Amino acid sequence: MKRTVIKRDGTEEPFRTQKIINAIFEIIQGLEVEDDYEIVFKIMKELDLKVPKRVATEELDQLVLKAIEQLIPKHPVYDTLATRQLLKIIDKDINRRLDHFRDYLARGFEENLLDESLKEFDFELLANSLNFDRDGLLGYFGLTTLKDRYLMRDRDDQIIEKPQWFFMRVAMGIGNSNGEVIKIYNKLSKLEYLHSTPTLFNSGTTTAQYSSCYVSVIDDSLDSIMDKARETAFLAKYAGGVGTDVTRIRATGSNIKSLNAPSSGAIPFIKIFDTLVNSIQQGGRRRSSQVMSMQPWHLDIDGFLDLRETTGNAYFRTPSLNTSLWMPDEMMRRIKEGEPLYFFDPGECPELVDAVGDDFRAKYEKRIEQAEAGGLKQFDKRDSKNFFKKYLFKLAKTGHPWLIFKDEHNRHNPCPEYSVINSSNLCTEISIPNHSDSTAVCTLASVNLSKHLTDDESDIDWDKFEDTLETMTRGLDNVLDKNFYPSEPAEKNTMDLRPLGIGLMGFAEALVDLGIPYDSEEAVILARKIGAFMRKVTYRTSQQLAEERGAFEHYREMKEAGSPYDYKPRRNAVLLAIAPTASISIISGTTSSIDSYFSNLYSRDTLSGKHIVINRQLIEDLEEKGHWSDEMAQKIKANNGSVQPIQELDGVINKDLYKTAYEIHPERQIDIAAAFQESIDQSVSKSLYIAERMRDDMEEFYLYAWEKKLKSTYYCFIDKVVKGEKYTEEVNKRGSRKGFGAVSSDTGSESSNGTSSKPGKEEQESVSDREELEARAREKFGDEVVDQALNADAGSCPTDPMLQKICPSCE
Amino acid sequence: MSTKLIGRTSVRDNIKLSEDPSYPIFKELYEKQKKVVWFPEELNIQQDALDYHSLTDDEKELFDTAVGYFCSSELLVQNVLVNSFFPLLTDPHAKMSFSTQLFMENIHSDFFEIVLQSFGLDREKMYDVAFDDPILRKKQDLIVDEIDKISHGKINPETLEGQKQVLRAILLNNIVLEGIFFYSSFAHFFALKDMAKMKNVVSGVELVLIDESLHLQNGIEAILIMLDENPEIVEDTEYVQDIRNVILEGTSLEIEYVKHQFGDRTILGISSGEMERYLKYITDRRLQELGFQQEFHINENPLRFLQKEDVKKLINFFEVSSTEYTNY
Ligand SMILES: [Fe+2]
Ligand SMILES: [Fe+2]
Repeated sequence: MKRTVIKRDGTEEPFRTQKIINAIFEIIQGLEVEDDYEIVFKIMKELDLKVPKRVATEELDQLVLKAIEQLIPKHPVYDTLATRQLLKIIDKDINRRLDHFRDYLARGFEENLLDESLKEFDFELLANSLNFDRDGLLGYFGLTTLKDRYLMRDRDDQIIEKPQWFFMRVAMGIGNSNGEVIKIYNKLSKLEYLHSTPTLFNSGTTTAQYSSCYVSVIDDSLDSIMDKARETAFLAKYAGGVGTDVTRIRATGSNIKSLNAPSSGAIPFIKIFDTLVNSIQQGGRRRSSQVMSMQPWHLDIDGFLDLRETTGNAYFRTPSLNTSLWMPDEMMRRIKEGEPLYFFDPGECPELVDAVGDDFRAKYEKRIEQAEAGGLKQFDKRDSKNFFKKYLFKLAKTGHPWLIFKDEHNRHNPCPEYSVINSSNLCTEISIPNHSDSTAVCTLASVNLSKHLTDDESDIDWDKFEDTLETMTRGLDNVLDKNFYPSEPAEKNTMDLRPLGIGLMGFAEALVDLGIPYDSEEAVILARKIGAFMRKVTYRTSQQLAEERGAFEHYREMKEAGSPYDYKPRRNAVLLAIAPTASISIISGTTSSIDSYFSNLYSRDTLSGKHIVINRQLIEDLEEKGHWSDEMAQKIKANNGSVQPIQELDGVINKDLYKTAYEIHPERQIDIAAAFQESIDQSVSKSLYIAERMRDDMEEFYLYAWEKKLKSTYYCFIDKVVKGEKYTEEVNKRGSRKGFGAVSSDTGSESSNGTSSKPGKEEQESVSDREELEARAREKFGDEVVDQALNADAGSCPTDPMLQKICPSCE
Repeated sequence: MSTKLIGRTSVRDNIKLSEDPSYPIFKELYEKQKKVVWFPEELNIQQDALDYHSLTDDEKELFDTAVGYFCSSELLVQNVLVNSFFPLLTDPHAKMSFSTQLFMENIHSDFFEIVLQSFGLDREKMYDVAFDDPILRKKQDLIVDEIDKISHGKINPETLEGQKQVLRAILLNNIVLEGIFFYSSFAHFFALKDMAKMKNVVSGVELVLIDESLHLQNGIEAILIMLDENPEIVEDTEYVQDIRNVILEGTSLEIEYVKHQFGDRTILGISSGEMERYLKYITDRRLQELGFQQEFHINENPLRFLQKEDVKKLINFFEVSSTEYTNY
C-alpha cells in the first residue's frame, strides 16, 4: 500500500519507514536495553497496521505512541518509551508557542491565569533550578494523567505547561521564599511527595483553592438546609469534595411545630443535594462530589440505606451522592452481642446527636426505657444481626454507605471544647471538630514512601523521610493563609484549628523493595513504626511553627479563658490523615495509600481513560531470575494477575511478596490500617478487598475492624465473579465436543467439512494413555493446576492443550 | 415430550423444573446471567455530555452509528428469538436461560435509548440507520430474511430439515449477530474509552459485553447440543459447508462495513486494516468454538487495547461509573 504523509504546512510526501525507524531509535537512545533492533522491530510491526493511506505528521506521532503503548504489558521498557514519546509530543507542541519557562510565566500572567503574588520570586533563579531529566521519573500512566488534566492550559485550551514547569508552578504557590520554593520543587519533581489534586490544579493560579475536603453540618431547620445547599454549591464549584452530616434532620412523621404538620423526613431533603451536585458536576476537570453522613439510629435509616439503590422511586434515589454511616460504639456492641437496636427521631431525641461514648450509651438506654414504657411518639426496634446483615448487603451491592466509627473518631478529638466531630468526609480520612457555623476544611499531601528507602533498600531512609515530612508540614501550613475559602464557615474552621492532612502512598511498593510481604506480621510492625515516626516529626515541626507563627486560634482562646488543653502549643490542631491517594499515586507511579498492589496486572479506569497497570517490581524480579517471557506474561494474565497458582515460580521468586489484594486476608488488611491508625491523629481511609468466597464472613470482618479501633472504612470491593468473554485470550467454550468437526474424527481428515483448512494439530495427536498424560501434566504444571483441571466444569475448561486432554468436561 | 432440545411444544409442557436438569449448562448460564443483571440508571451517562460535544466529526459518526446500530438490533435479537426458536425449546432451564437473555435485551435497548436521549441524537435517524445505510442494511438483511423463512411455525421441528433450519436461525442470531457484528461495534466503543472519551457510556457497554458473551454462550451451547442430538446434521456436508459460509459471509459484510466506515484514515488511532484483522480474529474464534477449522489463522487480537477488558478492573470512583459491583 502506498501511503502519504501530510505535513503541517499542507505539503505531502511519501511515507518513509526509515524516517519512523530513526525517530524510534532516537527515543531509545540512552536506555539500557539488550536489543534495540528487536524493540524497534516490534514497534514497527504494531505500527504497520495502524498507518492509514493518508496520515498527518502529528497523527503519525500519536500512532507511534499508540503502537508503543500496546506493548507495555510485554515489558516495562515500553512504558519508558511511551513516556518518552509522549514527552516528545508535549514538548514539540509547547515549543511551537513558548520558548522558555519565563515565556510560560509571562503568558500565565497575561491571561490572568497565574496569581500576581508569584511575581515576587526570582524567575531567573527558579528557571535555573529546573531539571528536565526528572521527566524520566514519570511513568506513562502518570504522564498521561498529568497531560490530560493537570498541566495548565491557556484560554484557548492549549497546554502551556511542561511537567517541570508544572511542578515549579505548584511549588511557587506553596513556598514563602525562593529557597523554600526550590526545596519544594525538588521534592515534588522527584516524586518524593505530592499535594492533593486541588492543590496541584490550583496552586499559584488565580483560582487559589487548595483544599480537597470540606465537612459541614446541617441543623434541623429549613434555614439551615437551604444555607448548606448554598454552601455546597460553592464548595463543589471549586472542585472540593463535601461531607455533610444530616443526622439532625427530623425523621418522617415528626411534628413540625410552626405548621403543626408531620415532616416528610430527611430523605427528600437529601435529594435536593443530589440534584445540586449533579448539576455542578457537569463541567470541570474533576467531578466534585458529596457524601451524606447519618447516624444509624435515625428513624429514616432504611431510606438512607436505599439511597444508592438503582431501582425504585427515583425521588428517593441519589445516584450523584455518596453515603456513610456514623456508627456509635453502643450500636456496634449490640450488633456484636445480639441485643436489639432501637431507632429514634432526632426531632424528639435531639440529645443523641452530639453525645459520644458512654454518654451516648446512657442517653440511648434512657430513650429505650422510655420507648418501651410507651413514652415516645415514634421509635422502632429491630434485631441487630438482621439490621447489620441488611446493611452489609447494601454495602456489597451498591458500595454504600461506608462504615465509620463515631466514637473512635471522637475519642481522639483534640478540641472537644470547640465541638464534637460530626462526621468524616468524602474519602473518610478527615476527623475534625465542626458545627453548622464552622465547616471543617482539610488540605492534604502525601509522602511517597517508595522514594524514601536507603540505597541498598535495606531500610527506610529515616533522615530523608524526616526532611520531607518537615517540608510538607511547613508547606501545608503556608497554604492555609494563601487558600481561597469558598464559604465563611470554611474559613472560620481553618483559622480556628489550622488542620493539616499529611498522608502516605507507596507503602506496598516500599515493602516489596524491602523484601517484606504485605501479608506478614513484619509489615504490621513496620506500619506501626512509620505511623509513629510521622506523628513524631510532624508534631515537632508544628510545635516549632507555633513558636514562629503562633499556636492555632482555638488553642490560644482556651488558654486565655483559663482552661488550656493539656498538650504543648502547636500550630495545627491535627496534622495527619491517610487518604486513598487515587490520582496522585498514579502520577507518582506507585501503589495507592497504604493498600497492597491491587493485582500484578490490571486495568484502571480514570478520567484519563483506561490504563493497564503492571507490577514493574515483579517483572524486574522475574527478569533477574530469567523467568520473564511472553508466555509468563500470558500466564499471569490468564490467572487474573496472580502469580500464586504458577507452580514453576515456586522457589524462583518469593511469591508472598506479590500477593494481590484479594489474596490478602481482610483481617490482615485491617491489622495494617489499625497499626497506622494508632498514630494518625485524623483517620486512615481503608477500603477492604474481599474474595468472593469470603463474602459470607463480611460481618466478622467489619466487627473486627471496629474491635481493632479503625476509625473509618471505605469501599468494600468484592471480587467480581462473572466476567465478559476474554478478548485477547482464548477460552475453550466447546470443551472436547466436536461440534461441526465431529465427522472428521472418523475419517481423520477435515475435508468432509468442505473447508480448505488443513487438519488441526490437536486432532491428529492420538492420546492413548490418559494416566501417563496426567503424570506428565503434573510434572509440568504441578498438582494444584492439574487437580483444578480434573475438576473443571464446562465454564472453566483449561486453555492449555495438554490440560484440556485431562479435563473431564473437555475429554 | 420430546427428548431433543428443539421440538414441538405446547403451553402445557416444560413448566416443571427438575432437580436433575437435562441440560445443566442452561441452568448454569441462567445463574450467570442472573448474577450480572444491571440497570441503565446505575451509570452516570449525562456526565459524558460535554465529552460528546468535543468529539471530532469522524468520532461522532462512529459513535452515533454504533449507538444507532445497537438501538435497532437489541430488539431485533428479541424478535428473532421469540418468533423463531423460543417456542421450540423443550427444556425449562433452556427457556429460563434464553428468556433471561430476552430480558437483558430490554435493558440494552433501554440503555441505548437513554444514550440517544442524553446526547440529543436524532431518534428517527438512529433507529433507521441500520436499514437506511446500504451496507448496514446488508448486515440486517442477512439476519432478517433468513429468520423470516422459519418464523411463526413455518417449519416442522420434528424433521431433520426443521432442526437444521432452527440451528441456522440460532447461528445467525447468537453467533453472527451477537458474536460478530456486535463485537465489531464493541471495539468502536472501547476505542473511545481508550482515548478517555465517553467513559460512562462505555462503562455501560462493558456491561452489555458481559451479557452478550453469555448470550453467545447460550447460542454455542444450543448448537453443540443440537449437533449432538442430531448426528445426521454433520453428515450433510453441503449443509455444514453452508453454515460455515454463512459465518464467513457475515464477516465479509462486517469487513465491508468497517472499510467503508474507516476509509483510508484512522479514527481513535484505529485503521480499517486493524479492524479487518480483528474481525478475522473474532471469526476464527467463533469457527473454532463450533468445531470448524480456522479460516484466517490469526491467533492474536490485533486490537491490543482490548486486553484492558480482560484483566481485573480498579475504578477511580469519583471519576467513572463503576461496573464492578455484583447484585448479590
Ligand atoms: Fe443485547
Ligand atoms: Fe444479546
